[in-house]
Amino acid sequence: MALMTEANWEPKVLAFCCNWCSYSGADLVGLNRMKYPENVRIVRVPCSARVNPQFIIRAFQRGADGVLVAGCHPGDCHYSTGNYYTRRRFLVMKRLLEFIGIESQRFQARWISGAEAVKFRDTVTKLCEDIKALGPQRKLRDQK
Amino acid sequence: MNAIQIKMREVAGQLLSLGEVDRVIGWEKGRFAHQSPPAFITDETKVERLIWDEYCLTGTAKYLLDDPYRAGKTGLFARGCDARAINRLIQDGQVKRENIVIIGICCTGMSDSVSRQMAAKCCDCTHPTPVVYDLMIGEPVKPVAKPERFKAVAELEQKAAQEKSEYWTRQFAKCIRCYACRNICPACNCRECFADQYRVGWLGKQHHTAENQVFGLTRAYHIADRCIECGECARVCPVGIPLMELNRKLIKDIQQLFGDYHAGVDSETAPPLGRYSLDDMEEFM
Ligand code: SF4
Ligand code: SF4
Repeated sequence: MALMTEANWEPKVLAFCCNWCSYSGADLVGLNRMKYPENVRIVRVPCSARVNPQFIIRAFQRGADGVLVAGCHPGDCHYSTGNYYTRRRFLVMKRLLEFIGIESQRFQARWISGAEAVKFRDTVTKLCEDIKALGPQRKLRDQK
Repeated sequence: MNAIQIKMREVAGQLLSLGEVDRVIGWEKGRFAHQSPPAFITDETKVERLIWDEYCLTGTAKYLLDDPYRAGKTGLFARGCDARAINRLIQDGQVKRENIVIIGICCTGMSDSVSRQMAAKCCDCTHPTPVVYDLMIGEPVKPVAKPERFKAVAELEQKAAQEKSEYWTRQFAKCIRCYACRNICPACNCRECFADQYRVGWLGKQHHTAENQVFGLTRAYHIADRCIECGECARVCPVGIPLMELNRKLIKDIQQLFGDYHAGVDSETAPPLGRYSLDDMEEFM
């Protein structure tokens, strides 16, 4: 495997997907033989509310160039109310990240259902394009 | 001797001699004229140690947690900020109201021990009169709104991403990870803190800017909706990191997004991130 350098840099995007909706949505992308960028690494979580905001900070520190949190649409949460907490949490988190100078495109939260393969593909494709345009994330990185 | 101090000693003496409490927490004179550290008094003959001057800066409430399983009641001298801290600890299930006798003091502000001007945390104080008390010393005043305390945050928000990042990197490069901000904070009341975990994944022990920032941001976010704005964290930080700017950014956004909320003013209303509303703003469609 070739070492990643400035010249051949490719973004690393971490996507936290809830088991019940967004992960199935991502699965459906594959079942439908659709393509989405290889830059995305998916972490399956039981619920979008499982995503501790510290995970986002840590992801940026440890080398992610972008982070996506995806969960069921409001009203559809497998645990009834998890994503309502997610919504409050990340509305605030998003603003905090902007306040410390992380570009707003680098952190996204989206509601993606198990049937929305196209939405999953489009969301991550757009995210990767935006991040490619921004370049590597070095602000919260180790060894700066 | 000032009237508040006379009254403090009198009340403390009474509570201890009647056995209503078995210790009081207030302030005493330190080694230097500009130091008035907290005092812990268990003996009614020692109440003369208690003082009230313009350097009683330290919050008293957090000391209730030093021995969480202590039996017996504590008489706690509390200014506005301490009273909100007590509500914070009660609401977080850390102390029981019935174990504390709160002796409220109507505070008029303390002085910074270096500049001798009014301390920053007191300039921004909105609730100088205790919001919860059993006995009260002094003349109560109404809470003040002080929207100007968000000015620094609003100015920083306007800057470009690069500039903001440079600003916070510069600040956290100074952090020595002494955890004083956490130790003094009444909202940082978890018995097991993420910062103390030695297992991989929580927080690295290396001392460098990125790791310091992860610590600072995680702490700020963890207390986002529970910070009572006592300003103690910024006061004790030995390297002068403007921690209140992070806290106030979160408080400002939470107020704008989810409505007016002042942590610690009562111990009933749940903090905004621990509840939700079906009509919360939708940005994630
Ligand atoms: S974060 Fe600072 S201002 Fe807020 S409660 Fe803790 S010590 Fe007080
Ligand atoms: S008090 Fe200041 S130097 Fe100490 S850990 Fe907190 S931010 Fe860092």
